[in-house]
Amino acid sequence: MVRIDLTAREHVPRWLGYATPVVTVLLALACGGIALLALGVSPLAAYWTMFGETLLSTFGRTQTLIKAVPLILAGLAVYLPLRAGLFNIGAEGQLVFGAVAGAWIGLNVNLPGVLLLPLMFVAAGAAGAFLAGIPAWLRARWDVNEIITSLLLTFVALQIQSYLVRGPMQDPTGNFPHTAQLSAAATIPEAIFNVHAGLVVAIAAVAVTYVGVRKTALGFEITFVGANDAAARQAGMSRVKIYLLVFVIGGAFAGLAGISEIAGLQGRLRAGFEPGYGFTAIPIALLGRSSAVNVMLAGLFFALLFVGGSSMSVAYGVPAALVEILQALIILFLITAEFFKRYQVDIEFDRAASASTGGEA
Amino acid sequence: MADHAFLRMEDIYKEFPGVVANDHIDLTVAGGEIHGLLGENGAGKSTLMKALYGLYTPDSGEIYLRGDRLELASPQDAIDAGIGMVHQHFKLIPRLTVAENVVLGQREPAAAFRADNGDSRLPETIRTNRVVQSLAKTFSLGLTAPEQRIQALADQYGFDIDVSARVADLDVGQQQRVEILKALYRDVDLLILDEPTAVLSPTEADRLFESLSRLADEGLSIIFITHKLGEVTAIADRVTVLREGRRVDTVPVAETTQADLAELMVGREVLFRIDKDDTAHGDPVLDATGIRAADDRGINALDSLDLTVREGEVVGIAGVSGNGQTELAEALAGIREMTGGDLRVNSTDLAGASPRAFVDAGISFVPEDRLQYGCAEELSVLHNAGMKAYREGRFADGPLLDYDELGSYAESLIEEFDIRGVSDVTDIDAGDLSGGNLQKLILARELDRDPDLLIANQPTRGVDVGAIEFIREAILEQREQGTGIVLLSEDLDEITDLSDRILVLYEGEFVYETTPEAADRERLGIEMTGGRVDDEPADAPEAVAPPAGAGSDTAEPGDSAEATDSTTDVAAAGDGD
Repeated sequence: MVRIDLTAREHVPRWLGYATPVVTVLLALACGGIALLALGVSPLAAYWTMFGETLLSTFGRTQTLIKAVPLILAGLAVYLPLRAGLFNIGAEGQLVFGAVAGAWIGLNVNLPGVLLLPLMFVAAGAAGAFLAGIPAWLRARWDVNEIITSLLLTFVALQIQSYLVRGPMQDPTGNFPHTAQLSAAATIPEAIFNVHAGLVVAIAAVAVTYVGVRKTALGFEITFVGANDAAARQAGMSRVKIYLLVFVIGGAFAGLAGISEIAGLQGRLRAGFEPGYGFTAIPIALLGRSSAVNVMLAGLFFALLFVGGSSMSVAYGVPAALVEILQALIILFLITAEFFKRYQVDIEFDRAASASTGGEA
Repeated sequence: MADHAFLRMEDIYKEFPGVVANDHIDLTVAGGEIHGLLGENGAGKSTLMKALYGLYTPDSGEIYLRGDRLELASPQDAIDAGIGMVHQHFKLIPRLTVAENVVLGQREPAAAFRADNGDSRLPETIRTNRVVQSLAKTFSLGLTAPEQRIQALADQYGFDIDVSARVADLDVGQQQRVEILKALYRDVDLLILDEPTAVLSPTEADRLFESLSRLADEGLSIIFITHKLGEVTAIADRVTVLREGRRVDTVPVAETTQADLAELMVGREVLFRIDKDDTAHGDPVLDATGIRAADDRGINALDSLDLTVREGEVVGIAGVSGNGQTELAEALAGIREMTGGDLRVNSTDLAGASPRAFVDAGISFVPEDRLQYGCAEELSVLHNAGMKAYREGRFADGPLLDYDELGSYAESLIEEFDIRGVSDVTDIDAGDLSGGNLQKLILARELDRDPDLLIANQPTRGVDVGAIEFIREAILEQREQGTGIVLLSEDLDEITDLSDRILVLYEGEFVYETTPEAADRERLGIEMTGGRVDDEPADAPEAVAPPAGAGSDTAEPGDSAEATDSTTDVAAAGDGD
């Protein structure tokens, strides 16, 4: 008989905390390597193309940074509620809402770029914050599970977007499900490293989040509510305030991700304009859960996976789905790693039982 | 006596890591006897009964029923041997009917069979299956036959229950009778009841006692776990008292008094004798009138309590846990909503206020559950030390929070309160500390605010001996600073050593008030367990039933409050700083 004993770890060793994300990624890549081998591609060469060549070329680096903008912002949208012990699964919907609101301002308001762009960002942030505020309020006030509500509101947001780009906001000159092209004034200019200014916004958001969580009294409260909301309440902290705050700010970040993708890169709002950044944000936030800076690093890593993955699939003719499989593997290993972080697993081969019965007989 | 010993438990020993729960306990129960098992929380009553019901295997010791040695590996073995148990928390499925609950598990395959299919709508192939047939044979009774039998049992013992009613629609007393029916349906000869009255109202409890007497008359043996003296003298024939895992004595109820039992149960060596200085009691800091609060299940736990605490006064609230202590402490700390009454602290009206208002009003709280309300285990000592202080201006660094300052604050608390095991306040988590050190950290945090009112609920529970003394002295020191203190404790020594005034909380009411000087441990023990003060031995249940002259003996809480207050007023007037 094999006996498996699970004991909750009383103390998680420090090295385990650091090693988990690294080992997780390496194991996922190793598993992905098996798939590559099965396709007759050398995993080492493929991974070199994917990571090495992407990072060594200017084009690859620029593309990675561009991809990283929405990923980092959406990652923060999940990270911040996570600090307070909540799961924002609806960053996708908040991102879409932000894109819609920002694009609407960009198309319908006539102002010079200096004023128009900030207005678009504010509108996008407000729209994302509004959509995120609903699950937060329901959770804080009525204890309605925020995972379910935020996820379901995503579908609401996607349907609204789908309706708008086929109806009221559709480009009047064509028949495609997208809006008209944004004017030059409504387009985010390039800022640094040939990347649009959305990158600056994302970095600023990381800095604000980092300082807010780590250095302010509000961050102290967020951390405390996340660790033990009953004790936090006893200390006079308001759960309602914190829950609303982390979701609303998180939702605003997701909204900014939406508009920077539209106004910085794509130039117009299309139905299904983005490949699920809001959902990718969840593993990003989980990987970088210990600080906003780690969220940024995780966002860059996932951007690299996207960009490098497509060069790999082009160069070696492997299916693009493999990149998604790699992402999925990373998430799976991440969840498993959490389990091993929390529990100590002892496997025992129990021969004592049969031995003792033998003795008695 | 020995010949009709129906149950014999001999030399039962059970050890849990660090605790001897049952230390060589003997117990005999005769046929048709109601045997009380009395003891404080943690005395080992439940462990002993779980060993008898096959839930625990004792490390050593033997159990004989009708002279046959029993090997109990599971409750099923116990049931097969004729032992039934009614747990404190019912194990019923609310959506099923009474009859379904009763037959549940009795014929395991039949229950599963029925749960999946209507009983006649089975396809031929399944019905003709040999295995299924044998199952169906057991099942072919359907529910009609069991229902009739259950109804007959219920009628026989005067249980007013409709067997086809859904359990969810029954009240608590009825649900308990369903639990008893479950045992009776399995033809048990010995019924164990684990604190059966904990969930019942007094009238429901009386009904339960009636039923139990009737069951005993029919020859059923009953073991009745309780820590309420009144119940033992009301229905038990004999009582075994446990204390700290040992059997103290087994006595026939007719030959004992509640006072004797209280001494057997509560009496224990005094660990510390703390000398406290007389302090002048100033103005009232806490003035609560008619406060009510419900427990987590929504049942009223506090019945219109009045409580006044003055500056520099320690009001000790004695009582056995589960009589409203938690609710009272949490209501006073602002984390449990009051369902009625007025609460003023330093004349700030706090009824219905947020927890924050309570903190700001100068109330500090040492909760009974350190890990639930006292700290965040996974956060650093720094975070936990600053849990309330972080708002103070001295920790503000412009818009930021001055973590360096918080760190030195945490270090100063650690030094002052001699909290051990903290090498680095940012690196060590609260959860890494031992119980005593964590409790000291919580107390340090709460006292350092120099509160006007301190609510301390079981401040030394589960704390090592050294820390106990430290904590008690810290509380007394705070009293000298003029803090009003509400001390809730199950430890009578703690109450009498630290308090200026003692109130006994029983079933959500203050039933008795005294001072440590006038306090009589036995009397306190009796009041804590809802007993009556009676000098005559309680010879038979019916003889003690009418509480004739006992009531006049009990001081009205209001009266003695006046008395103590008037003396302290004089002292306060003379010492007006």
